[in-house]
Amino acid sequence: MSTEMKTPETDPAKLPWLGRKLLWLDNMKNVARIIYALFVLCAGLIAADFMYSKKSYLAIEDIPGFYAAYGFFMSAALIIFARVMRVFLKRDETYYSPKDVESEAYPEDQLSRETIND
Amino acid sequence: MIDLFPPFLLFVAGAALLPFIPNGHPRALAAASVPVISVYLIWMMPEGMHGQFTLVGQELTLLRVDKLSTIFGLIFSLAAFLGLIFAWYVRDTIQQTMSLLYAGTAIGAVFAGDLISLFIFWEGTAIASVFLIWARRTEGAYWTGMRYLIVQVGSGVILLAGMVLQYNETGSMAFEAMTLGSPATWAIFIAFGVKCAFPLLHNWMPDAYPAATVTGTVILSVFTTKLAIYALARGFAGTEILIYIGATMAIFPVFYAVIENDLRRVLTYSLNQQLGFMVVGIGVGTELALNGTIAHAFASILYQALLFMSIGAVLFRTGTAKASELGGLYKTMPLTMVFCVIGAASISSFPLFSGFVSKSLILSASMQEGYYIVWGILLFASAGAFIHSGIKVPFFAFFAQDSGLRPKEAPWNMLLAMGLTASLCIAIGVYPYPLYALLPYDVDYVPYTTTHVVTQLQLLFFYMLAFVVLMKTGIYPPELKSVNLDFDWTYRKLGPAIIRSVRSLIQAVWGALIGASLRGLNFGVATLERAHGTEGPLARAWPTGSMVLWIAVLLGGVLLLNYM
Repeated sequence: MSTEMKTPETDPAKLPWLGRKLLWLDNMKNVARIIYALFVLCAGLIAADFMYSKKSYLAIEDIPGFYAAYGFFMSAALIIFARVMRVFLKRDETYYSPKDVESEAYPEDQLSRETIND
Repeated sequence: MIDLFPPFLLFVAGAALLPFIPNGHPRALAAASVPVISVYLIWMMPEGMHGQFTLVGQELTLLRVDKLSTIFGLIFSLAAFLGLIFAWYVRDTIQQTMSLLYAGTAIGAVFAGDLISLFIFWEGTAIASVFLIWARRTEGAYWTGMRYLIVQVGSGVILLAGMVLQYNETGSMAFEAMTLGSPATWAIFIAFGVKCAFPLLHNWMPDAYPAATVTGTVILSVFTTKLAIYALARGFAGTEILIYIGATMAIFPVFYAVIENDLRRVLTYSLNQQLGFMVVGIGVGTELALNGTIAHAFASILYQALLFMSIGAVLFRTGTAKASELGGLYKTMPLTMVFCVIGAASISSFPLFSGFVSKSLILSASMQEGYYIVWGILLFASAGAFIHSGIKVPFFAFFAQDSGLRPKEAPWNMLLAMGLTASLCIAIGVYPYPLYALLPYDVDYVPYTTTHVVTQLQLLFFYMLAFVVLMKTGIYPPELKSVNLDFDWTYRKLGPAIIRSVRSLIQAVWGALIGASLRGLNFGVATLERAHGTEGPLARAWPTGSMVLWIAVLLGGVLLLNYM
């Protein structure tokens, strides 16, 4: 990694238009707002289950919030299982080298590393 | 007789002429126009068997045109076009020609009406594609390409064995629907399974795809595996074992994708997983399921290419695709970020994006046929797709912590390719009916019902909630510089280790045997030496008198015997 690319202070004038608009996300308060919006949406979607008649094949689908619960617990279980799996499977990046690209740098001549300051 | 111009010839001709066109915009334009003409050719081809001729007593069919082959021909051409726009600035002649040849052989394979032509194109895709890995031109890429080539060519050899057996049994080389049972059909099935990355046969893919060049990975993601999906749909639709293979495929790679650091490998695992959905659809084998499989292949070629393009653009600008090195790029590469999010929304089956209108056909079909557990597994696998490709890839590349990288936005050609692909993902999601019209069977399916939209949104937002909760509580596994052992460990580490120990064992046994025989030989020689050597009792010089005496005794004995 070249050090000259590490330029944490960003001059907004050098950002593309959309990037300047997205600076809104730099404010942690706004990120918190997005997360609150997610909570509200989730609550709303469970409420929505009571407002229409579900066309279902299985009895289990008729439980209000079945899909919500399935989604939440399945993804949580999946992530936790993967994390446990990593304890056994993780190896150093150089494990297969030199017969692997994992620990190699990508050839510079095939890149075009330009920064916004160029 | 050749009555129609086969589209693959167009690609072969293009690849042959390309090196003579000035490198730069003219050559890039010429390359990109080949798939455009190919779309036109395929669109105009009347249904039926064309391009039939006899070669050494075998009837070959170059063009079997029906709805199944046509839709694959079209999406392959379209994806080749988008990939070549993305690769507009690649000036490497090998990559340019091999991309065209690769697309051409894949298109040739989907139109092949007999097993011989299928075999030739099958191996063609293997050989053309490996150059996209070697084009990285590093030692690691060389070895990875070798491993990839061995597996790919191996798949072709198994196919060859299968077709020879098939010919022996049936006397026909036609490539038609088969029933699994005989060694011939099993061999063909396994050959397809290798390219389709069935569980435990899948390692070539996460090994090789992230090793290719920025543009090579995009091209690779399109053809080989979807060709295998086509071949399975043609040959083994309704084969029940595929349901269980597919369900395993849909879950197995998910865990790896969650803990993998290289985002292009994360996407490869997710590609593997999406193939699982299609394989289930082929196994279910009803009209709805097969339509779902093909629609999903079509949609997934696009969103998967889009995701590979966006991470490719990041790699092109920053030199890395590793989650542990990236983050915070949304300010400087906002368009790439938006396209990546569109790809992520499509693979996660957000309503109004392409995955929503294609994957649900497969889920509905498995439900309708009573495969409830498989349905539950696929729902779980959808959660996986959302977690690793829907959230992880865009989040760790463009958001998460600020990596300090301030790369410029991707170049115009990459943005154009991503923009076109993203528009297609949205267009299919918003209005799927033109895609449905291309499918082999009539589609009586309405994706946008209240139930479907609400249940899908519930799933998606609660996946997201789980992600947020696990991130906030620190349970979500951090991105670490590492590799994770997969089944390829068996042939990259365990196999060689076994061979090494067997070799030392053989060496030891051989050494002991040779040593023992040498000692035996030495002992024999020494004994002879002792008896007959210069000092040996049998080699002593005896006095002439005793010799004469002994001859007289011998003579006496002989005479005595004679007279008796």
